[in-house]
Amino acid sequence: MLAVWALASLVFLLSRWGPPSDESLGLSNAADLNVGTPAAPSARRQMRREALLRQGLAAPLFYFSRVADGSGARPVRWHWNGRRNQYHRWLGAVLRGNLGTSFRNGRPVAGRLGAALACTVPLTGAAAALALAIALALAAGLARRPWWRRPALALLAALQALPLFVLATGLLLLLANPDALNWFPTYDQADAGNGPAPLGFYLALPLLCLVLSALPELTLQLEAALAHELRAGYAVTARAKGLSIKQLIRSHALRNALLPVLPLIADLLPALVAGAVVVEVVFSLPGMGRLLAEAAAARDYPVLVGGVLLVGAARLLALLLADAGARWLDPRVL
Amino acid sequence: MRKPERFSLAGGGRALAWAWLGLITALAILAPLLSLPYPPAQPDLAHLAAPPLVAGSAHWLGTDPQGRDVLAELVFGARTAVGLSLAAAILAAALGALLGGAAGFWRNSGLHLPLPAVVGLLGVAWWALALPWADAGLALSTSALAISFLLRERGNLYLPVPLDAAVLGSTALLGAVPRLVLVVALAGTLTLSPAGLLAVLVLTAWPGPARLVRAEMLRVKAQPFVAAARALGLPAGRVWWRQALPHACQPLRTAFPLSLAGLLALESTLSFLGIGLPPEVPSWGRLLGSARLEPTAWWLVAGPGGALLLTIIALQYLARAHR
Repeated sequence: MLAVWALASLVFLLSRWGPPSDESLGLSNAADLNVGTPAAPSARRQMRREALLRQGLAAPLFYFSRVADGSGARPVRWHWNGRRNQYHRWLGAVLRGNLGTSFRNGRPVAGRLGAALACTVPLTGAAAALALAIALALAAGLARRPWWRRPALALLAALQALPLFVLATGLLLLLANPDALNWFPTYDQADAGNGPAPLGFYLALPLLCLVLSALPELTLQLEAALAHELRAGYAVTARAKGLSIKQLIRSHALRNALLPVLPLIADLLPALVAGAVVVEVVFSLPGMGRLLAEAAAARDYPVLVGGVLLVGAARLLALLLADAGARWLDPRVL
Repeated sequence: MRKPERFSLAGGGRALAWAWLGLITALAILAPLLSLPYPPAQPDLAHLAAPPLVAGSAHWLGTDPQGRDVLAELVFGARTAVGLSLAAAILAAALGALLGGAAGFWRNSGLHLPLPAVVGLLGVAWWALALPWADAGLALSTSALAISFLLRERGNLYLPVPLDAAVLGSTALLGAVPRLVLVVALAGTLTLSPAGLLAVLVLTAWPGPARLVRAEMLRVKAQPFVAAARALGLPAGRVWWRQALPHACQPLRTAFPLSLAGLLALESTLSFLGIGLPPEVPSWGRLLGSARLEPTAWWLVAGPGGALLLTIIALQYLARAHR
């Protein structure tokens, strides 16, 4: 909690450190429009001052600031700004649930984030659930040491080495390409609202990418944990009493093997959000990750800070869930 | 629990991995000396998105949608990748080892600073930063000096430095958000030169090595040879640097290739998203990103994607072989 607050504050303060550029104030558009006579410098300065006032950027940044004095023996002195500063206002607004307005188009950040979440939450949630389910099934299968164990492990290791954006670009060019296999529509090809397929259909390929990126590490670790559990004394006893290896894995070993993998599962949700940055840019989905990447490219700080806060909150939630899961798996954990 | 047939494979695979990494490094170092048919980052407007291996064309591996030669971009992209990721990985490992090692060795109360010196330094800093009542800082320094002079017979007062809490707190702070999101946010707020990008990469990568070295240092610190070195009367700093730290850095031998692979992937992801480096710097990630403009150009994906994949596989293989 403290870490999320400190990190968001850091990003906020860093982003407001320098003087804001004209583009971020929405001035360049106005200047481009009156092509005939370029605005006089004094008029530009006036416009700039008004824009600063409008967006609350004229106030000092933090509770205190260093002021260059020029006169006297000491060239700088510290000035106490009181509570009328940008940081105090921002923090108060965030605590009241108001994340500010976007520099780009003046719409509230919370609304933009909410609209983006409507795409990202189904995507990452489904990816997490699917990856977990497939990893469980695959690890249970691999632990029985079938003939396809070695090739499957090698394939998983290769998949783990493949960066997500290479995977996503490759799949996009292979499976959603009018010149190769055109199995999946991409979001670009039809309009979002009136396209022939609902949003879920567009999500199929991105979902596949996210699952494939999360799967290898989860499966490899789970398989290692399962192999460790199957060598334990209780597993040998259960086998000696006549349990089939399938029964043994399902009702005895799997629960114990999940415990060491739990931190990985807790990291799954944040990792998928980070993965969504890449996947949503590649497949041009209107989600959280693409919003963040575009905000970073366009220096839209309120959106960036809001996104950092939101992702941090998601990670906190994942940690809480992991704690609850550990308690469920092993009642001895307090 | 290693199976015997792995040993026969391990030698050849390792040699192969080293050979590939050596090739990439050699390309990176020798890139300006090679006589490539086209220089990098130079658009050839007569050949936009030309396919590779066309008779009569000197673009052996084709060109991208802006007409830049893929071969030149690949070779100079290796320079960017190796230079940036290797430097970031080395710096992050060094910083992590120092901070994590110090945090594990001294914990929260092991490192003492004499109280008057701390107060004196604080006073000087107060005066130098020109905080309100700057002269109070000077008075504080002089009084601290005087007190330490008066008390020099009775032994000084010491102030413990909460090193462990500070390092763990910083790693928790940087770990609150996934690394890619953090780097994207930082890269968006600051205007980045290659050196700035390097600093951001190091800043986000050091907690991993730090955590490893700290955990190992807790184990090493309890070993008899450290106690023996201290019993010999060696100063704590020297025991830390000469005896304990080399042992505590052992886990980095496996972690370093993995961290390098992660940074390589992160750096190319950033270039792919068009966030980190300026667009005229050749990079594998940017080359891959240009494939989105030209969906039929498989040669834009195969070259850089294959190079990236082979490099990361080689690094992971080496990490596994060390284990």
